[in-house]
Amino acid sequence: MLLEKEMKLADVINHDYNLIPVISRFGIMLGFGDVSIESICTKKGVNIDFFLTVLNTFHDPQYFDKKYLQNFSASLLIEYLQKAHNYYLDNKIPEIECLINDMAIKLEVNKTSHQLLRKFFEEYKEEFIKHIEREEKRIYPYVINLEKSVDKGNVSSTLLAQIKEYSINSYEAEHESVEEKLTDLKNIIIKYLPSSEQQQSRYKLLKELVVLEKDLHDHAQMENLILVPKVEVLEKIIINKASKSTNK
Amino acid sequence: MSKSKKVIVVSNAFLLSVGIENLVLELSGMLVDHVFNGSEKQLFAKISSKKPEFVIVDPTSVGDSLLKLIRELNQEKYMKIIGLISSTTNQNIISMFKYTLNIQNSKYELIEVLKSIVGKEDKVISQNEQLLSKRENEILKNLALGLTNQEIADKLFLSIHTVMTHRKKITRKLGIKTVSGLTVYALMNKLVDIREVERRV
Repeated sequence: MLLEKEMKLADVINHDYNLIPVISRFGIMLGFGDVSIESICTKKGVNIDFFLTVLNTFHDPQYFDKKYLQNFSASLLIEYLQKAHNYYLDNKIPEIECLINDMAIKLEVNKTSHQLLRKFFEEYKEEFIKHIEREEKRIYPYVINLEKSVDKGNVSSTLLAQIKEYSINSYEAEHESVEEKLTDLKNIIIKYLPSSEQQQSRYKLLKELVVLEKDLHDHAQMENLILVPKVEVLEKIIINKASKSTNK
Repeated sequence: MSKSKKVIVVSNAFLLSVGIENLVLELSGMLVDHVFNGSEKQLFAKISSKKPEFVIVDPTSVGDSLLKLIRELNQEKYMKIIGLISSTTNQNIISMFKYTLNIQNSKYELIEVLKSIVGKEDKVISQNEQLLSKRENEILKNLALGLTNQEIADKLFLSIHTVMTHRKKITRKLGIKTVSGLTVYALMNKLVDIREVERRV
């Protein structure tokens, strides 16, 4: 279903529960009333084209609409992506760690299995944090510089060198390895973690992992399908401008 | 899971092609690889280059060149050609196809027909697919101990290519891709001892 601005936000959420964590990243909290997407965006000062693009991308992996791309800035997108990162690091990861420990406390798994899971998840967490740091310290500042440069209309030679040095394309592949580890963890819990009588925490953990997996996948999708094309446009503008000025 | 079987759809009707994709997904191990709308130049060459096991053709999208297309497709012995028909389809057209799907049938009727066309070949193998062979276990053990593909190849007197093939099979059987994931599996199943693994670092 294509999500549009006239729709009631509550209907949209009821239609797709995966959107619950997404709206909170825009500062829209539950209890918003019987309002349309358009009116809540106006009230909260949220860019409506951007909001719809994000909702639709999360809702339907095949969604991609070029026409809205021009209607919001790359820095707005980055602000959103950073909020999502904080949500993963401050909420999701600790919640999962807590559930892994719960399994041991409630004696749902033996000590060895618990240690193995914990260690595996720690490794995953380290890799995940490293990935996020690389994005926030290298890629995002680069993108923001690109946009500033286009807005101001001046091109610095360092920026030009950066564009040539690493094109944004290279960064798509990196998402995969982070995803793979999470899928492995999920399969281990479903298939290979020795069975036990009590499994309450195990169910909760599995559910959290499934939700996180989907959320992260869509997050990567946003970066690959929205951020990357936007940056490619910016890179092109700057390169064109630079070549024109050298021709003069 | 074994390698999936490719289906090519020839139809210019969006609703039909989406419906077929859904239907095909109901059978495990099959996927729609590509949808052509029927008016492409060199359609036969384009289809056969993809080497599909099945081609589902909506006769109305192909029009006058239907007979020619089916003749060409029939030359490729490994392909099964399935016609999409309805109660109003001309008898001459129906008789061109060895297999047909009636678009007016219900979902489960269609699944049954499709199943019978696909055949039941590799169902039996899937039973012992989850069990790792002796060789695979050996390789898994060494992976858990932190050896690289090359080191394992040297140790077991195999080519690196063979080791990679085994690794792919292990991943497919267990559903675990990363080395750390495989290590957890090996430890949980006591293929290796935790002290051995810790010694590696």
